[in-house]
Amino acid sequence: VTSVLVVGVGAVGGRCARQLIESEGVEHILLCDRDGERAASVAQAMGPAAEVVEWSPAQALPRDLAAVTCALPGGLDRAVAERALEAGVPCASSADDPTSVSALLDLDDAAREAGLALAAGCALAPGLADVLVRHAAGGLDDVIEVHVARVGGAGAACAASLAASVSGDAREWRDRAWVHERAGSGHRLVWFPPPVGSFDCARANTGQLALLVDAFPDLERASARVAARRWQRAAWRATRSRGEGGYGAVWVEVRGRRGDAREVTVLGVVDRMAVAAGTVLAVATVTLAGLAGGAGRVTTTGAHGLGALVEPVPFLAELARRGVRVAVFDGSAAA
Amino acid sequence: MKAVRRVLMLLTLAGIAAWVARLRGRGGVPPSGGGWRELRGPDYR
Repeated sequence: VTSVLVVGVGAVGGRCARQLIESEGVEHILLCDRDGERAASVAQAMGPAAEVVEWSPAQALPRDLAAVTCALPGGLDRAVAERALEAGVPCASSADDPTSVSALLDLDDAAREAGLALAAGCALAPGLADVLVRHAAGGLDDVIEVHVARVGGAGAACAASLAASVSGDAREWRDRAWVHERAGSGHRLVWFPPPVGSFDCARANTGQLALLVDAFPDLERASARVAARRWQRAAWRATRSRGEGGYGAVWVEVRGRRGDAREVTVLGVVDRMAVAAGTVLAVATVTLAGLAGGAGRVTTTGAHGLGALVEPVPFLAELARRGVRVAVFDGSAAA
Repeated sequence: MKAVRRVLMLLTLAGIAAWVARLRGRGGVPPSGGGWRELRGPDYR
């Protein structure tokens, strides 16, 4: 029986579990959450293929797992990933704060030695955004700049991470070096796909940039922004459906060279954040496990973001099949 | 009359707030032509 352990069944983990159970090749899922009632409720909704287990990273992993998927708040996923490596099982995590992402990337050597893939930041931005950058890069000879922006969040843990991301220090990748800026500064009006439209976004302290620089070491510049204003985020939350985490959007701008010409590609996604993030996490997990319901092959081993680990076209095709669709901006901008 | 003045004052303040909020976002260039389309086809381009 092919089993996957889902650690954390909140807004993203619960949707991920639903996607996993509907994935070809996944026969059984084990659900683990510090809130036992929530885990039981999710398991009940999944049917007999789901089972609640009491597990903590202080214990060895349950036996015979094909993969581990982790949808925990930042800082808690490293221990889960270490247990997965010890057991020789691939692991995908959705945590997006810089500390969590760095902690997972630090496991790169151990993951490579084990011949395993460890995927960090498997949600929307980071996560799907990295796949979009890899996809856009496929049409270029060189990628020079990448800029990512996001509006909205998926669930309570994500909202907390989002709020924390616009305070304190934010690193930015400029002229192939890290530059320290104030998080919440550097306002830019970003044009997301409709119906979201324009949002004032500011520098964010997120793990996104570490994953991009890891995947594209020759990048000259990279930035990550989120919808900036507290009142904007509050208004966004108040006016959108909260049943599935609310709607949000991701925007990616990739600048590079093709031949002698400079090219700019702008890609975007608008979706229910928790559903889309859960879907990305599930597809990443199934792909890392090499199961039939996955999306192409894993391109390398070690600890990386999705931009370095997966083939973009099969991944985007699988997401589209599951209802998460990507748009490209065709057109020109005003001078 | 007092109520009308209050309403007008509120509308003016709301307009100023919206104008300031719009100006506050810098650097973005509004799209002037084209639009968004879903990625399709075997290459998803």
